[in-house]
Amino acid sequence: MLATRVFSLVGKRAISTSVCVRAHESVVKSEDFSLPAYMDRRDHPLPEVAHVKHLSASQKALKEKEKASWSSLSMDEKVESLCFLLHKCGFGEKWLNVAEEGAADLCACKWLSSLPPVYRIKFKESFAEMNRGSNEWKTVVGGAMFFIGFTALVIMWQKHYVYGPLPQSFDKEWVAKQTKRMLDMKVNPIQGLASKWDYEKNEWKK
Amino acid sequence: MAHAAQVGLQDATSPIMEELITFHDHALMVIFLICFLVLYALFLTLTTKLTNTNISDAQEMETVWTILPAIILVLIALPSLRILYMTDEVNDPSLTIKSIGHQWYWTYEYTDYGGLIFNSYMLPPLFLEPGDLRLLDVDNRVVLPIETPIRMMITSQDVLHSWAVPTLGLKTDAIPGRLNQTTFTATRPGVYYGQCSEICGANHSFMPIVLELIPLKIFEMGPVFTL
Repeated sequence: MLATRVFSLVGKRAISTSVCVRAHESVVKSEDFSLPAYMDRRDHPLPEVAHVKHLSASQKALKEKEKASWSSLSMDEKVESLCFLLHKCGFGEKWLNVAEEGAADLCACKWLSSLPPVYRIKFKESFAEMNRGSNEWKTVVGGAMFFIGFTALVIMWQKHYVYGPLPQSFDKEWVAKQTKRMLDMKVNPIQGLASKWDYEKNEWKK
Repeated sequence: MAHAAQVGLQDATSPIMEELITFHDHALMVIFLICFLVLYALFLTLTTKLTNTNISDAQEMETVWTILPAIILVLIALPSLRILYMTDEVNDPSLTIKSIGHQWYWTYEYTDYGGLIFNSYMLPPLFLEPGDLRLLDVDNRVVLPIETPIRMMITSQDVLHSWAVPTLGLKTDAIPGRLNQTTFTATRPGVYYGQCSEICGANHSFMPIVLELIPLKIFEMGPVFTL
């Protein structure tokens, strides 16, 4: 009885078929994965739909202005609508009329925050924004080092509380006598142990 | 025998093992080259800015990466087969020793010129003297002459074992009901160690093989045969 009540609290959300409920945090609401969707992807530069579907009044006005002759646009507006659009498609400066000097500067890929409304109607993030790095690597590396350190603690505990003593053949005197015996036997005299021993001077070769 | 934490092969004590070491160097170099190439390709794949996913029909590249591995495989196979046939060369052994695996010791029979049969048990830790090799030294070693072709007949009396001496390049399974043969010629005198190389029960790690190779003149004097 209690279990079913708990399940209905947790389970309903967990097994919900509504995308909006399940993905409440990061995913933009999408009704149906069979319809064209917007996505910011480096390998998919022209998404199927525009970012903003329902234009506000000012946005509608801007779009109307874009439909008219582009010579009526101010330098800024012209550059905004044409250049950025082409830039997003990856064509860069070469499509601009070089005579428009100001335009060449403005087409540098440096403005993140200054992207104009026309651009933002069509696209959510610029290439620079979507490709930006993050600080996740610090978390990953830090987490890995933490767990390695924890493992070291576990191994220290094992050595102290679990393992028995080492066999007597690990004692320093034993190892010394053993090494001497191996040298007397000329173990691996070509490239191995005995090849590193100077038999005339009775010491390791320098 | 290997020193502690040794990763590479032991020095050769027979001509076949010398060949095997050279072959190992050759094959390992091929492996390193291939691994390096693959890691480089992987690195490029992970750090590329290119995003074209519709590439197909790279016929020249496909031809190269089919023919080139085939050539590499041939270059590995030829030395390998050469050594394989070298081990089977007729070499007219002077001496035949039988080695019989038991759980968990070896029995050696020298029956060419008389009848010498003895067991070879690992020295228990309590019986070791300081300087002895733990898990390797045995009570009775297999004494053999150097520079003579020796034939080993290997079998087992109970379960599978394997008679292995790495420095001579030997590893032969001891199979109950079957006689396996291997031959070798040792080039240097000395004491050479090996361990049972087929899982055979609780003390599989505790039935080593120890060969004591001595000059033929001394061997002929008969120290082996005075048990």
